[in-house]
Amino acid sequence: MAGSDYQRIMNTGVHSSGLAISELLRADPQEVGAWTRRWDARHIAGQVGLIVLGAGLYGGAMGWWRDPQQALYTAIKFPLIILLVTAGNGLLNSMLAPLLGLNIPFRQSLVSILMSFAIASVILGSFSPLVAFLVWNAPPIGNLAASGSTYSVIMLTHVAVIAFAGLAANVRLWGLLRESGGSRVAANRVLIAWLSINLFLGSQLSWIFRPFIGAPGLELQFFREHPLAGNFYEAVYRSMTHLLNFD
Amino acid sequence: MDAMNTPPPQVPPQIPPSPLAHPAWVPLGENPEERTPIPNAVVAIEALLRQPRRVMYQLRQPGAGRLIGGMLIVSIVCSLIYGVVVGSFSMHEQLWTAPVKVAGGLLFAAVICLPSLYIFACLSGSRARLSEIIGLVSGLLALMTILLIGFAPVAWLFSQSTQSANWMGTLHLLFWGIATLFGLRFLESGFSHSQARSNAGLNTWIIIFVLVVLQMTTALRPIVGRSSDLLPTTKKFFVTHWADSLKVDSSETRQ
Repeated sequence: MAGSDYQRIMNTGVHSSGLAISELLRADPQEVGAWTRRWDARHIAGQVGLIVLGAGLYGGAMGWWRDPQQALYTAIKFPLIILLVTAGNGLLNSMLAPLLGLNIPFRQSLVSILMSFAIASVILGSFSPLVAFLVWNAPPIGNLAASGSTYSVIMLTHVAVIAFAGLAANVRLWGLLRESGGSRVAANRVLIAWLSINLFLGSQLSWIFRPFIGAPGLELQFFREHPLAGNFYEAVYRSMTHLLNFD
Repeated sequence: MDAMNTPPPQVPPQIPPSPLAHPAWVPLGENPEERTPIPNAVVAIEALLRQPRRVMYQLRQPGAGRLIGGMLIVSIVCSLIYGVVVGSFSMHEQLWTAPVKVAGGLLFAAVICLPSLYIFACLSGSRARLSEIIGLVSGLLALMTILLIGFAPVAWLFSQSTQSANWMGTLHLLFWGIATLFGLRFLESGFSHSQARSNAGLNTWIIIFVLVVLQMTTALRPIVGRSSDLLPTTKKFFVTHWADSLKVDSSETRQ
């Protein structure tokens, strides 16, 4: 599709149309680069809509194994975490970019990150019917002892799908950073910095918003009791010391 | 002088090129025959078998919805017919449940796999529109089920001469596997004209699609053989189900 057609579609704000999504996924650096340099509330709303829909569908499929109510909770929480990470790190990410050699304004860095999350969410959304089918074929989560390796299969599937979505989104983000005037080294530095910061905040937000799948023995809740008590990294540390018998 | 008296060498008749004679880099529609519209489902069947490039070209034209609808109807009718053959092994209620399960299962598998195929296509840089992707999947299903109809007499003969559900299940899987190979070849050929940079995404999707269809055979069991329940009461992955089935005395499964 010609660039002018792309602009026309983007200008209409019809981001949910097949063509707009296909352009987003192809993420031709020049076309998308021109788009990220502009600030348009409709475009932003379209990206947010894709995140809510895509990540919401995947979250629903993820939580459905435990209970339909858990599916609803996870469908709300999953996109919420993505949006909170984008908003929470927006300022820091935009400050790091010029410091690491990529001189782009705040708006462009925010839109670029939002776009990469939208790509990941669309990919996750496309896999949600397959994950739902997998969950439908799995023994009930309450019967984990009998389900044998099912739990591992489902967990590994989630890891593989989310990793693939994240990888594909970041490859496109990297191409966009290169197009934005940065050298290869600067693009690498900015991408690694953004990834690290987003991962750091995202892990803690995921800890606060747990559960996503829902443990069979525990009550169905939107938040666990005292969600702000402790943090993700403390829990990882405790698990490691327990595993290694240091305490 | 002798040379002047020698009769001119006979020119052999022109043999029309086979579909495979057109490599992927020849644009669709180069051959005028490919631009001939496909008016109905019968012509679509012939085109799928003899002129797949004609189908691929027509899927890009305005009004391709009719062709897609025709191929979907062909898929449903053919899978229903093959399902009757599958059900003829056990007779009774399987004569109607097996066709419904075969047709419904194939369509459901295609529907849930379609979004990921579109995403993989876009990630590969393909310029194919969503309607073209739907058309290629419809072509895959249609070609697959047409070939299953070709296998149906053989499958019926075996179903009447064996008591073993395991044996019949294996035979149906073998036929399905062969039919799927040809269907996927059509899909890959169509995909190669969409300017995709790589086939890695499509190959990944093919693995997913095959796994989903195989799981569907377990999720909708029994399709071969009989059971007191229309649908399974316990959830299993297809590999576990196959392993369990092999342990059961095959003669007991045909009641």
